[in-house]
Amino acid sequence: MSIYEILFWFLTIMAISSALGVILSRNPITSVLFLIVTFFAISGHYILLNAQFLAIVNIIVYAGAIMVLFLFVIMLMNLNADVEPQKGRLLQLAGVIAGGVLFLVILAALKSATVLPLEKTSSDIGLIKNLGRVLFTQFVLPFEISSVLFLSAMIGAIVIGKKEETKNPLTP
Amino acid sequence: MKAIIATTILGIIMMFAGIMAKEKKPLTTLATILLVILLGVNIWDLTNTSSLAPESLFNNMLRIDRYALWFNTLMTGCTLLYVLLVGREIQKVGEHVAEYFALIFFILCGVYLLSCYNNLLILFIGIEIMSIPQYILAGSDKRNLKSSEASLKYFLMGAFTTGILLMGITLLYGATGSFNIVSFSFLQSDHLNTLALAGILFIMMAFSFKVSAAPMHMWTPDVYDGSPTAFTAYMATIVKAAAFFAFLRLFQVSFGSLSSHWTFVLAIITAATLLVGNLTAVFQQSVKRMLAYSSIAQAGFMLFAILAVNAVAWQGIIIYAVAYSIATIGIFTVLMKLKDYTYDGFNGLAKKEPLLAFVSTIFLFSLAGIPLTAGFMAKYYVLQALIQQGSLLWLVIFGLLMASISVYYYFRVIIAMYFKQGAAELNSPVSGTDKFMLVFTCFLVILLGIFPQLLLGNI
Repeated sequence: MSIYEILFWFLTIMAISSALGVILSRNPITSVLFLIVTFFAISGHYILLNAQFLAIVNIIVYAGAIMVLFLFVIMLMNLNADVEPQKGRLLQLAGVIAGGVLFLVILAALKSATVLPLEKTSSDIGLIKNLGRVLFTQFVLPFEISSVLFLSAMIGAIVIGKKEETKNPLTP
Repeated sequence: MKAIIATTILGIIMMFAGIMAKEKKPLTTLATILLVILLGVNIWDLTNTSSLAPESLFNNMLRIDRYALWFNTLMTGCTLLYVLLVGREIQKVGEHVAEYFALIFFILCGVYLLSCYNNLLILFIGIEIMSIPQYILAGSDKRNLKSSEASLKYFLMGAFTTGILLMGITLLYGATGSFNIVSFSFLQSDHLNTLALAGILFIMMAFSFKVSAAPMHMWTPDVYDGSPTAFTAYMATIVKAAAFFAFLRLFQVSFGSLSSHWTFVLAIITAATLLVGNLTAVFQQSVKRMLAYSSIAQAGFMLFAILAVNAVAWQGIIIYAVAYSIATIGIFTVLMKLKDYTYDGFNGLAKKEPLLAFVSTIFLFSLAGIPLTAGFMAKYYVLQALIQQGSLLWLVIFGLLMASISVYYYFRVIIAMYFKQGAAELNSPVSGTDKFMLVFTCFLVILLGIFPQLLLGNI
């Protein structure tokens, strides 16, 4: 077993078990902490795939910024296990059946799937220089048009976040 | 693709106009002028494209053909009609009128991307650009708790569906190694790839959510009911039509050759949509909520076009999109004039405002699919497309049955207006411009009902 394989299996087990931890733990804060571990494990996978830039961005943006925000929100809302609304027995059963069917579909699909042959790529493919070149040539349209998406999200933050002076509080 | 660039720039102009404008009225006028410019750009695009060869742009990210450009032009025209009819109601929703209009321009950007995408990445970004402004518009009436609820519900469900869509795209990429919708490898190979089939299933579920097909329709009544009515009119029409166009594009162009594998699943979804939409609409007390369920029912008919993988389906979806959009925007405009949104609120409207009652009768006729209105021709085309497909005749008969149920709840409004006693109270006086625009919309509905070829002549 090479060092690569050891790392791969270590990261895989870490990712899957902490992902299970996210959905199985009762306490929301533990869930978020497990999610951070999952992100770190996935970043490790990115590094194994020669995608260094993606790994760093994943850690900075997801594990860093977004998850800290999550933690703050959860702590501010003061969520506890007992506040969580309990679902009815029937709803639980329906959920189990629906989830089981979905699992069956994915399992069947993966079982008989034909795996595409791996492409050998050079080891510096994940460097910022190469990534930037691809982004500005092949994927220039999705890259540029995402700005519209972010602009509308920013407008949304202002429209929803800004306090409105209510002239006539009686109007519905 | 000039229209995509134009709508982005015009949206930004609209956004900055909010700083300059002191009052709300000039903003509506500005939005109207900018939409006229956008319509001009679309027509310019249309005249510059040859009808024979589709044009690929940005490394095959977009493929421009006549259907897509003509659809874009029609949707821009419908948006212009929407702003002319509903503009004054948008001013009443809240303080940020310029931002609302800017968001409508950005939604149009998503519509343009969805009508001519050739790559699953663009499909994903297009759906997001179209959805995120809607979540904001749904929650724009901040003083109303129901509006906030609608926004949050729509956002959470929409984000979940985006996850399903991405999962589907991932599975397809894993199976074929490509994002390009015309060069998937299963189109050439003779053996079937189950991974790709699972991907198709996921993508179908995500689209069914976006077009509010049962059983993914649960969000629709709450969101449409809770959002400010001015924006419900937009969400239920142009946005839904664009989602359908993208749905048709993917399932006809790229999954069409596999139709024997997914037709049955989609046929069941269609039947369930028709059943749930029509039957639940019968029991509603509020007209706004009834229109939300009716929009689910109409989605069932539009799904016919997706099931029929043939050329008539393209014509059907274009006619249906326009006919449904115009009539729904019209009936929502009338609804906004009323104080009470229940059926009782319509009592005796014919005596008080004969014109308002008359135009809403025509709009409801169109939605029910009565001959001589646009809605009839729309239903005719999608049913014809499905009959030509051949193997789903039971669904055609079921659809006709459901269409006859829909007549019941549309006519309840007409009966309330003409035959019941009461004094319908108006929210705001109906101005001369309103009357002119409503009569013009009514004229369009009847014109398209007599000459549906007007919508197809340009392709």
